[in-house]
Amino acid sequence: MHVLMMSLYAAIAATVLAAIEPRHDSLRDRFIHGLKVFGSFLGIGLLLSWILFPIPW
Amino acid sequence: MQTRDDLSGDVPRVYRDASPYEAPRAYPAGRRMAAVLLGWLVPGAGHLILGKLGRGLLFLVLLTGTFVLGLALHGRLFWPTPAETPSALYFDLITVLWFLAQVGSGLCYIISYLFGFGTTPIPEAATFEYGNTFLFLAGLLNYLVIYDAYDIAAGRKR
Repeated sequence: MHVLMMSLYAAIAATVLAAIEPRHDSLRDRFIHGLKVFGSFLGIGLLLSWILFPIPW
Repeated sequence: MQTRDDLSGDVPRVYRDASPYEAPRAYPAGRRMAAVLLGWLVPGAGHLILGKLGRGLLFLVLLTGTFVLGLALHGRLFWPTPAETPSALYFDLITVLWFLAQVGSGLCYIISYLFGFGTTPIPEAATFEYGNTFLFLAGLLNYLVIYDAYDIAAGRKR
């Protein structure tokens, strides 16, 4: 459930951030930028959860 | 073969018309303000009145859907409440910040609040925090979208 929600959050944020990105004009560039943002959200989220998992508080 | 008339025509205009990119242009101040105000009230409306139909519809569907999803997941709509302990700021700061994040959704927030959707917190619901997060996300992303609409209206981007 948590990963699903995190993925949905990342997909929504990545779509909007790619659509308003000023440096890319073509749809293809925006799509690639969106994929990078989506991957960054997921990757950093998983990395943080892995780092925080052993901390008991 | 090109004729002499083709070559001696209005060359800059011909090249400008043939350019695949439309040069950004600044809109009048009234249109800019309308883009910002409408963009706040209805996500994506700022882009729609500037003729950016694709982006406008995308933001309208995506951000309104995110807000509705947040409510469906039992998210709570926040309103600034007075602080429990006396402080320099009359209001509880965190409720002010949460309110500012959510009110970015404009009419979605106002209508939902007036009709009582999401005004009763259900913290025992398993998806309560997910709902809150999506409500914050919808409002905060709409602030970025409004800023983007203003940039387009000011002629700073296409």
